[in-house]
Amino acid sequence: MRIVIAEDDPLLREGLALLLRAEGLDVVATAGTPDVFLAAVDEHRPDLAIVDVRMPPTHTDEGIRAAVEARRRQPGLAVLVLSAYVEQAFATDLLADGSARLGYLLKERVGRVEEFLTALERVADGGTAIDPEVVAQLFARTRPDTRLDRLSPREREVLALMAEGLGNAAIAERLVVTDGAVHKHIRSIFAKLGLAPADGTDRRVAAVLRHLNDAHRRA
Amino acid sequence: MPAHDAPPATAQEPARPWDVFARARTALDAFEHLVGGIGTAILALITLLWLVFTAAACLFGVGLFLVPGTLRALRAVAGRERVRLSRWGPEVIGPGPSPTGLRQAVADPATRREVGWVASHALLGTVLGLVGLTLPLTSATDAAFPLWWSFVPPSEATPSLGLWTVTDWPGAFAVSLLGIGWFAVTLAVAPGMARLQAWPGRRLLTPPPGTDLVTRVAELTATRAAALDAHATELRRIERALHDGTQNRLVAVTVLLGASRRAVSRGSADADALLERAQDAAEQALAELRAVVRGILPPVLADRSLTDALSGLAGSCPVPCRVDADVEGRFAASVEATAYFVVAEALTNVARHSGARAASVTVRHRDGRLWLKVTDDGRGGADEHGGSGLAGIRKRVEALDGVLTLASPPGGPTTLEAGLPCGS
Repeated sequence: MRIVIAEDDPLLREGLALLLRAEGLDVVATAGTPDVFLAAVDEHRPDLAIVDVRMPPTHTDEGIRAAVEARRRQPGLAVLVLSAYVEQAFATDLLADGSARLGYLLKERVGRVEEFLTALERVADGGTAIDPEVVAQLFARTRPDTRLDRLSPREREVLALMAEGLGNAAIAERLVVTDGAVHKHIRSIFAKLGLAPADGTDRRVAAVLRHLNDAHRRA
Repeated sequence: MPAHDAPPATAQEPARPWDVFARARTALDAFEHLVGGIGTAILALITLLWLVFTAAACLFGVGLFLVPGTLRALRAVAGRERVRLSRWGPEVIGPGPSPTGLRQAVADPATRREVGWVASHALLGTVLGLVGLTLPLTSATDAAFPLWWSFVPPSEATPSLGLWTVTDWPGAFAVSLLGIGWFAVTLAVAPGMARLQAWPGRRLLTPPPGTDLVTRVAELTATRAAALDAHATELRRIERALHDGTQNRLVAVTVLLGASRRAVSRGSADADALLERAQDAAEQALAELRAVVRGILPPVLADRSLTDALSGLAGSCPVPCRVDADVEGRFAASVEATAYFVVAEALTNVARHSGARAASVTVRHRDGRLWLKVTDDGRGGADEHGGSGLAGIRKRVEALDGVLTLASPPGGPTTLEAGLPCGS
């Protein structure tokens, strides 16, 4: 897997590169600014980009904008956004055009190397990785009168893990239940959220997005 | 705030008739004011001549080019008098920026009043100042008359005013008595003269009645906005420092720790090097956190007095520095923090730029303000726009509605004075 890293803090940038190289991943370039990052993407055509949200010059959301631009230039580029704090607006900006090959994680998750690598692979393989913290915040902000209120506690747990981007097997493993049980919960969630099986879109993603949008609108 | 009818601070001390020391102290204060008044009176005189010259030049048209500069000079000289008067009496609030053209200047009541002040202070202020200076000299020469009269030619053996010629010892002692009389007169009239000298300024340099509150409100609104702005800037600075500094260092720690755990489980020899880097990053995080905390509110102020904190600052200054603090009790946290910041920045400047051999910090609590004065004997020439932290000092002082003056002629010495309102 060929990776480009965009992170303005030199210590962190080198730390990340060191970690990934030690795991046998191919870090082809590192960048400290959005411009250098975009140039590196053009030059190396990587499989995955790891992007920090806050970058020069204003240190606000340059990273998100650079990530969106990189995906415009190279459709299908997997992007994992790292953020020092949870900002729901960033998550929804990023997920506006679908959630495939996207990840949004808090920076400190990198330290849990195994989980971080799993998330990385999932995003590179076309999946999604949303930080549990982001998901938790979305649930916390949900008012009692939303459709999500109709979900049972167990179903909420399942939806939260779906939102993180986990597949059925991974969810079953995390909750220590059988695949069949997870399947049943998910069907129930789709039904309660009004997502018909005939719908062409990915229903898992739709469920998560509906939830994200719902919470964002109310925030 | 009726600035012009409140009595000056020095007159508030009840000087009982028989208390010579209190009288002498009041008279001494009055002399200080009279001498200071001569300074601004001479400036006013020069400004007056320049005004007349500009007005004359305007008749030929060329003077119009001189108008903006003249108006700025007028406002600057008036501003100096305002600062002088504010130091020993009720605060004299100045108007905003000076008008730029002749037409606005003529229409501006504040400028018209300033012109009136320049004329009256140039004449009255100079005369009163000189008389005030002559009086003690006269009383001293006359009182000492018996000591020196026999050494001068007989025709010059007269009292200071040359009233009569002294020919014998009783006459000499009579002059001595006259000198003591002069001394009594001096004590009696000096405070009045100082007040009279300040009167045109207190009368004409304050905003005209009616605009008083409006100006004050405008000024308070501006300083309040500046305070909020300074506060927001401060919060942004702290947030940025925590986020991009400390937090990133800690993230790096977790990343490096994660990497070293993987290295350990792989049995790789890199683990120790990775752990060392993690430790470095953690130490950096601590150092940055300390710097941030210090910038918010110096911990030393939390459990020690301002005086102690400033002594600590002076002690750690590479240039020998003396602290003369005559203040009691505590002030509002914002005032103390700003005072600490001002002195810390000023001493940093002294150490970095002045080349001084000695510095001193004076702290006084007077007229509802905490006054801080930092002086050094260095090469001077400090410039507020030179990026030496002076702009930051001004911002923080003005955020508290305080005043800051900087005097730093080339060759030194440099004196920085800040007055912070402290509500008592």
